[in-house]
Amino acid sequence: MMNKEAPTFLFSIQHTALSFRLWRAVAAVMLSALLVMVAGCGSAAKVTRVDADVVTDLSGRWNDTDSRLVAETMVREALDSPWLGNYTRARGRQPVVVVGTILNRSHDHINVQTFVTDLSRELTNSQKVAFVAGKGEREEIREERREQAIHAREDTQKAPGKEIGADYILKGSISSIPDESDGVKAMFYQVDLEMIDLESNVKSWFGQKKIKKVIERKRVLF
Amino acid sequence: MAESSLLANPASRPLFQSFLTLWLMAAAISGCSSAHNRYLLVEESLRTGNVMQADQIVAQAERDYGSTSRVLYRMDRGMTLHLAGRYQESTAILEQAETEVEDLYTRRVRTETKAFLVNDTLLPYEGEPYEQVMVNVLKALNYAEMGSLYEALVEARKIDQRLNGFADQARDKDTYRDDAFARYLTGILYEATGDLDNAFIAYRKAYEAYLRARPWARVTAPSMLQSDLLRVTDALHLHQEHEGYKEAFGETAWQPADQLHHLAHLVVISYNGRAPRKEDQFIDLPISLEALRLVLLTKGTIGASTQDSRVPESFLYGLSGRVVRVALPRLVPQKSQVAYGQVSLIGAGESFTGRTELTQDFSALAAKSLNDRYTQLAIKAVARAAVKYALAQGAGRGAQAAAGRDAGPLVGILVGTLAHALAIGTEESDTRSWRTLPDEIQILRLWVPPGSYELHVRPVGRNGNQGRASMQTVTLESGETTFFIERVMH
Repeated sequence: MMNKEAPTFLFSIQHTALSFRLWRAVAAVMLSALLVMVAGCGSAAKVTRVDADVVTDLSGRWNDTDSRLVAETMVREALDSPWLGNYTRARGRQPVVVVGTILNRSHDHINVQTFVTDLSRELTNSQKVAFVAGKGEREEIREERREQAIHAREDTQKAPGKEIGADYILKGSISSIPDESDGVKAMFYQVDLEMIDLESNVKSWFGQKKIKKVIERKRVLF
Repeated sequence: MAESSLLANPASRPLFQSFLTLWLMAAAISGCSSAHNRYLLVEESLRTGNVMQADQIVAQAERDYGSTSRVLYRMDRGMTLHLAGRYQESTAILEQAETEVEDLYTRRVRTETKAFLVNDTLLPYEGEPYEQVMVNVLKALNYAEMGSLYEALVEARKIDQRLNGFADQARDKDTYRDDAFARYLTGILYEATGDLDNAFIAYRKAYEAYLRARPWARVTAPSMLQSDLLRVTDALHLHQEHEGYKEAFGETAWQPADQLHHLAHLVVISYNGRAPRKEDQFIDLPISLEALRLVLLTKGTIGASTQDSRVPESFLYGLSGRVVRVALPRLVPQKSQVAYGQVSLIGAGESFTGRTELTQDFSALAAKSLNDRYTQLAIKAVARAAVKYALAQGAGRGAQAAAGRDAGPLVGILVGTLAHALAIGTEESDTRSWRTLPDEIQILRLWVPPGSYELHVRPVGRNGNQGRASMQTVTLESGETTFFIERVMH
């Protein structure tokens, strides 16, 4: 009897041990999965004050740094090119420049106004050209003069018809060409500016600035 | 020996793990969401013309959407704000949705694992590809309505970029990889700014996309698109293309661009009906003869599985421990009854009429999108069901082993039953979709002399019945494009 029962008993122990190992493995898999589920990655908001000149490339889109750097570089190029010297020599005075339309032809909603402001600032501070108010600003100033004509003291009123007409208009566009594959995105921005003689329509200067950014996104994050 | 001591210890780890599993699975069961009721309320508000109320319903439900459906909330809210004429707010919230979709490119292992073990509703909703395109379409229309056509063109470029991305990723030529309506809208926007080169490219791509999607999209290239192609190729002196289109389109009427320059351009966009919804389709697989009998008996008693029958079914199948449940989404179309919109423009001296044409069918798009992903969804659902079954078995056996020789069988049965019930109860397919979209989009373009008009849009049903007309006074300027948006719920 003992001889007959022994194998069954042994098989039963082996079976129990095997089954227990199996279920322990399953439990281990469950525990690992649960740990992955439970493991939190808490993140609290953190604010750091930085200088306005610090480059902050977060999303890869056109940002304040691009606007400022492009404006600085291109205005410097424009003022270093021969058209300025030629004009000053020929007329004996600085040319008067107005900033016209900068068209946004890119894939981002760019606040073109900040770029126009950056251009205006660089042109004015250069002291090499006289810079007059653009179309939108002019309307506001004219309205103020009309108001003065009615409400201000006569000796302080500013007369109409004394505006200085611009000699050149600076206009241009911001374009972009995106390229994307497998989480890697290359964004190519091209800023084209041209200085056009308002009298003759001659394009006196043509400037171009290119910016290329590569944005990489991870497909999997642990 | 170590194993024996573990078996004899009732407070051992396996027991703890089993209960932890049960607790987590129970926590993951979300009751039948109120989403369906919410959409019914939104639709009812839109039907009665109370757009602001529809927007409020969505706004107040922001918490109910939950953290995994933030994109969906923003899509829904973007649409209701768009319909309410709050274009700036709509654009801002859709911008957030777009950014979040971009961020969701990065998958988090923790979230994916959780979703694999419970169900796909735990994954953050990123929208179907055609819904992602519609985010940019709505933004473009918002900008156009605000008179910022150049900003609308930024969205047009984004649409092009997004669609190019889809085309690059598509392995199968037959999948959704282009969007004829979105292309067509971008063409209208380019033409409105005088950029005929880009308008032509967009119109041509739209036409090709309509042809390519004909087997499944249920939309043919609208006749106005044919006129647009003839007009633009003529204006650009693209003689070869112009002749080609003339031959293809036969008698399609068109006017040269120089005859339209001094006229005002009106684009009527009509959103008709309700977008299709998704619902759960449960497949219960018995893995023993007794389980087969139980499934048949249950189906015979409570009928087909629904959200409401989940609790009793989970309990019964849990007791059996030999039933595996797979949940897959099923599309329920809610077809619009509108055949077209009859548009009348009544001015002081003269009147103009026209019919809107079908340009987009969201039911067809949703069906195509689901069909494209169905195999992948089914494989994942079956794999999940298998893992859940193994985990439930593991929980029961683990608890039995941990509870010891005396209490083991009872504890094992109890934990096993609960684990199986939860495995079945948590099985749910991802039925989320952008339901504030319409079923169809129809468009009419009219060129009329500038001036003030009364604009009437009357929906005409497929059976010929006429609905109530909406009326609005519009002032149309020479050389300018005005967009008018109409929402019809029928």
